[in-house]
Amino acid sequence: MSVASADQLPPKATSQPGGRSELLQAWQRFRANRMSLVGLTLIILLVLIAIFAPLIAPYDPITDIFRGVRGVGPSWDHPFGYDHLGRDLLSRVIFGSRVALLVGLVATGISVLVGIVIGAVAGYFGGWVDTLLSRLIDTLMAFPIIALLVVLAAVLGPSLVTTIVVIGFTGWARFARVVRAEVMSLKQQDFITAAKAVGVRDWRIIWRHLLPNVMGPVIVLASLGIGGIIILESALSFLGLGIRPPNPSWGGTLADGRAFILRYPHIAFFPGLMIVITVLAFNFLGDGLRDAFDPRNRD
Amino acid sequence: MLSYITRRLLQGALVIFLISLITFAVMRLMPGDPVYMLLGEGEIRISQEQIEAIKAKWGLDRPYYEQYLVWAWNLLRGDFGDSLIRTGVPVREMIFEAIPVTAIINVIALFISLAVAIPAGIWAGVKRNSAFDYASAVGSTLGVSLPNFWLGLMLIVLFVLYIPQWFGDIPLIGKIPPFGLRSWQGYILPVLVLTTEQLAVVTRVMRAATIEALGQDYVRTAYAKGLAKYVVITRHAVRNALLPVVTVIGFRIAFILSGTIVVETVFAIPGIGRLFTDSVFRLDYQVVQSLVVVLAVLVVLVNLLTDLTYAIIDPRIRIE
Amino acid sequence: MTWMGHQEVSGLGPDNVGPTVEWVMVINIHNPLVAIDEFNEVEMVLAKSVDVSDDGLTYTFQLNEGVKFHDGTEFTAEDVVYTYDFYRNPENGASIAGEFTGVGSVEAPDKYTVVVNMESVNAASLTGWAGTAIVQSKYHAEVGEETYRTAPIGTGPYKLKEWRPAEFTELEAFDDHFRGRPNIDVLRQDVVPEPSVRMIALQSGEADSAVWPLLVEDSVFLESDPGFVVYRTLANSIKHLPLNLRTPALSDKMVRKAMMHALDRQRIIDDLWNGAAQISHSNLSPASPYYNADLPQYEYDPAKANAMLDDAGWLAGADGTREKDGVKLTFTCTTITGDQARRPIAELAQQMFAEVGIDMQLEEAPVASILQSLREGTMDCSLFNWTYGTAIEPDPFSTLHSTGGNNFSGINNPRLDELIETGLQVVDPAKRMPIYHEIQEIFVDEVVALNLQFDEWINVFNTRIKGLPENPKTGDPIYQQAYKWWIDES
Repeated sequence: MSVASADQLPPKATSQPGGRSELLQAWQRFRANRMSLVGLTLIILLVLIAIFAPLIAPYDPITDIFRGVRGVGPSWDHPFGYDHLGRDLLSRVIFGSRVALLVGLVATGISVLVGIVIGAVAGYFGGWVDTLLSRLIDTLMAFPIIALLVVLAAVLGPSLVTTIVVIGFTGWARFARVVRAEVMSLKQQDFITAAKAVGVRDWRIIWRHLLPNVMGPVIVLASLGIGGIIILESALSFLGLGIRPPNPSWGGTLADGRAFILRYPHIAFFPGLMIVITVLAFNFLGDGLRDAFDPRNRD
Repeated sequence: MLSYITRRLLQGALVIFLISLITFAVMRLMPGDPVYMLLGEGEIRISQEQIEAIKAKWGLDRPYYEQYLVWAWNLLRGDFGDSLIRTGVPVREMIFEAIPVTAIINVIALFISLAVAIPAGIWAGVKRNSAFDYASAVGSTLGVSLPNFWLGLMLIVLFVLYIPQWFGDIPLIGKIPPFGLRSWQGYILPVLVLTTEQLAVVTRVMRAATIEALGQDYVRTAYAKGLAKYVVITRHAVRNALLPVVTVIGFRIAFILSGTIVVETVFAIPGIGRLFTDSVFRLDYQVVQSLVVVLAVLVVLVNLLTDLTYAIIDPRIRIE
Repeated sequence: MTWMGHQEVSGLGPDNVGPTVEWVMVINIHNPLVAIDEFNEVEMVLAKSVDVSDDGLTYTFQLNEGVKFHDGTEFTAEDVVYTYDFYRNPENGASIAGEFTGVGSVEAPDKYTVVVNMESVNAASLTGWAGTAIVQSKYHAEVGEETYRTAPIGTGPYKLKEWRPAEFTELEAFDDHFRGRPNIDVLRQDVVPEPSVRMIALQSGEADSAVWPLLVEDSVFLESDPGFVVYRTLANSIKHLPLNLRTPALSDKMVRKAMMHALDRQRIIDDLWNGAAQISHSNLSPASPYYNADLPQYEYDPAKANAMLDDAGWLAGADGTREKDGVKLTFTCTTITGDQARRPIAELAQQMFAEVGIDMQLEEAPVASILQSLREGTMDCSLFNWTYGTAIEPDPFSTLHSTGGNNFSGINNPRLDELIETGLQVVDPAKRMPIYHEIQEIFVDEVVALNLQFDEWINVFNTRIKGLPENPKTGDPIYQQAYKWWIDES
């Protein structure tokens, strides 16, 4: 279920803070990668669908409950068929994109933010600070996250905010680990040593010199991680701890359809398909970004 | 080297202590009372006094710190206590019955995915931008993008229901049972689901690592010396590319629980994933706490082993 | 023969009879003195006869002779005395101890006679404690309750062969069973949590029956399949939304009545339950002889619901949700985690309530949490099936008495308490009748819970299993007759 793995650790970028031409070059490398362009296009499309959901969706995803059509399969009027209550599945899937993107982006944002702060502090200051924070990172990485998620969601009460916050605040360890390693290797380098020598303050060094350098790997890791988080949201819904009904979410609809997989397979199929497409898109994008930011991958 | 291992083990002990504390606290935070799980739905009459009696019997009426200390102390002595729900059965027995079940399907899946993914990843890395490279890139990205439980259910519907209906028995395999591990055919679908994801991950890692290794100076030197391509690839590139694969394997073992919860639920496999979710939802404190600690110990040891393996494979990495 | 359950079998002692999956195994390993069979009749099992004194205070059982336990020892009255004394003793913390309410002492005047002396009348005796499975007393005393649960020795038609709680429980025929050796050699219960997978296993012949029901759609589908015997029996339990009457928004009786009118219960049955249920108009099912057919009924009428709420002073606020004296008409319904069969009902009810300006939020939680929160009065509402008196015994003490252990609503109605207490001390059915009729009237008038429907419990068997009953009235007790069945391999 987790998509996170070591291959997502991007290669170390050891260059000086990049200028405009560096970015331009990265964009050119990114553009040359067909799969990542496909990914980017799909994501833009999804974002548009999410923003304009009320205009696109043919029916209201919550209040339009049709009678006697529970689980009826796809037709011209209802291309995705009806859900387990008799609502238009297409409309629910369209509105579900909002939750998926919101959870994916915001939770990743929180993870990245927390991860960068903790990773940078641990890597830069070293010593007992590093030891303490590293043990915290280890603990979080060694903890079965799903257990933590289940219980936290049970204690806080399931909702959109809980889902985002819980996923966000438990997923930062991976980012912290990468940032810490980057910062540790960077701070040995000449330009940092030089800055220190002329008396630049620690926070300024971190902010001006170290962070811009770790952003590349972090962005790549984040874009690859969004997919995993979207899957995690569906897993939480699967455990009854995700978005509260009647609000539509892909994970929730998929979990609804799970019980009806034999009778009405389309209920689980379509949201599952959307999850696959979205996660695929973010993974393609992430791959493209990694190749673009990695100087050694230049052809 | 020895002092390094000692230090790591001490750090590990600290991590395990923290985890045991968090787990204990978190289970107590969950609203609910395991006593009610003994009662089932509906028919049984019970009074408040009787509930108190049941609680007293299990020590659930004592203060939390006392419950924790008793549990932790027993754990240190290797006594995991008895299950609250499955009364009379030692938790140790439950855990050690479940571990092999989970281990077997995961090890099979890991072996299959390594056997396929390592050559595939190297080939894709060597033949960069070839049709094979693209196909494996798309395939492996798809592999990591498939939600496990969705895939599992779709496979059951396909292999157990539709294919036998349309075509009859599958050659060489016969009937695939929808659940359980009673016959060897029962392993096919769960292993397939686990393999799909791991295959994808390892292929990606292997490809990336191969490309990186091929770009290294010493490999270029080897080429320049006129060594045959396959010799260079096997002798130098592959050796280094295996490093991240070791990490992935360690990672898989560490996350064995998250990975198999869903698969075990869907296929009704009595492994640690099922034991864990069942116990969480039935508030079987003893089982959840002990299981988490056992797994945490596993993670700590695996992490240490991974780092040691690194040192053995790659002499450039120095352990201090 | 293989049948499937939905959750693990956590133990096999007489106390493990709460969950259906455990009861069906326990009852095949053990026997009680008397049982309630699938036609709601009292059936003599280890007892040859039972004599109840006119005042209802003495039960005298004559036992079958020559009955053997699985270990070869003979079953005697001492085993009954031991079993009853053990499980009713509060110190042993058994969950079935409450069944023994009113029991004063248990005696064995001779080897084949058991006399139970009551301190107070308990009209539910024969359907309660007399159904307790009897253990081999010497063995139980020696190994203790905890070990016993893992390795039981009873008189039942089957003895335990292998037990893997989360995977399967396998029983094998007991050659010396007093009613004759059962025909089917091996009884096996597999644990299959996913309802869809249980359905596939039935269709592929992997299993012969499902102790825990399939999805209604799947069960109904199998009714038209000649390869399966399908029983529809009316459940004793009401599918209902238990309400916490102490919640400010729900404490107003008019609000609860309006909610009943706002619910289109027939639509729920038709659209979400494939018609396999009957609207519940009382806490007792129509199958009960005590059922009151003259109760007022809450028909679906949202206009009336709106009018009632307006009259009661609950007026629509800015967001469409009604409020009165600063209290918003909003509450949370917590459904059981992963309960995909019942949750859609809550989702539909949510929309029905929304139409009359009542806001019902939905949450999920594990069963254990829900039951505790309801008992402690910290949860507003839930959705599950629960029994408020069965077809054979109408007593609702635990759910409707103010001191009842499962008084989820927190109802404290002196008249109701009085009726319940009186009802338990009257033995003559004709005299009990008016008491239980009035209890039902109060239940309906107070709207103690939003009662939706009595489900038709659907049990499915592969037709290769022969000797099954004709038109049974209840589902679970069918499985205690497994010793009569045989397998037709043709």
